[in-house]
Amino acid sequence: MAEVFIGLISGIVSGTGMGGGTILIFLLTFFSGLEQHVAQATNLIFFIPTSLVAIIVNLKNKNIALKSAILISIFGILGAIIGANISINMDVGVLRKCFGVFLAIIAINEIISIVKLYVKPHKKSKNINTK
Amino acid sequence: MGKKNIGKKIFIGLAAGIISGLFSTGGGMILVPAFIYLLKLDATKARGTSVFCILPMVIASSIFYYKGNYIDWKVAILCAVGGGIGGYFGAKLLKKLPEKIMKFAFLGFLIYASYKMLT
Repeated sequence: MAEVFIGLISGIVSGTGMGGGTILIFLLTFFSGLEQHVAQATNLIFFIPTSLVAIIVNLKNKNIALKSAILISIFGILGAIIGANISINMDVGVLRKCFGVFLAIIAINEIISIVKLYVKPHKKSKNINTK
Repeated sequence: MGKKNIGKKIFIGLAAGIISGLFSTGGGMILVPAFIYLLKLDATKARGTSVFCILPMVIASSIFYYKGNYIDWKVAILCAVGGGIGGYFGAKLLKKLPEKIMKFAFLGFLIYASYKMLT
C-alpha cells in the first residue's frame, strides 16, 4: 500500500508538470528499497497513465502547443533510445551518483529561475513607476 | 513560430529525450525552461506541452528497460493506481496553485534528495 501512496504524491506533482518522476524514484529507492534501475523503470510505467490523464485535462484547457509538440516528440524518441541504452548498460552505483548530480543541477537551475521570476520583475516595475 | 525555431526544437527534443531515457525522468525539467526561454511559451502552456512531449519518450525508453528486465510490475501497477488519481488532481491544481509555492517546495525537495543520493 505504501507504493499507492508514493504514486499518489508523485502523481499530484507530475500533473502540475514539475518533475513528479524525481520524487517517485527517490521515494521508491529510499522507502521501498528498490534498485535504481527498477525504480526508474517503475517511473516509466507509472508515467504513462498519469500523463494520459494530465494530457486530456491540458488538451481541454488548451495548454498544449500541438505543432511544436509533435516535432519535439519525434526527436525526443530518438534521444530516449540513446539515453535508455546508456542507462541500462550503466553500473547502479554510477547511475545513482549521476542521478544525484542531475538533481543538484536542477536545483541550481531552479534557484536561477526563482531569481529571474521574483527578483527581476520587481526592478522592472520600479522602472515603470519612475517613468 | 518561424523556420528558425526548427533547429531549436530538434535540439530540445534530443536533449530531453536523452535525459528522459537515462534517468527515466527530468525531460520536463529540460522542456519547460526550454519552452519558456527558447520558444517563448507562457509557463502554463510550457508545462502542458512538456507532459505531451514526454509520453512518446517514456514509451520508447520503456521498451529498453523492459528488455533489460528492470520492470517490477507489481510495484509499477500499485504506483500507477495512485498516480492516475494524483495526476487528475495535479493537472487541476496547475491552474490554481501559485507558482511561487510550487517552486520553493520543489527546490527544497531537490536539495534534500541530491544530498541523499550523493552521500
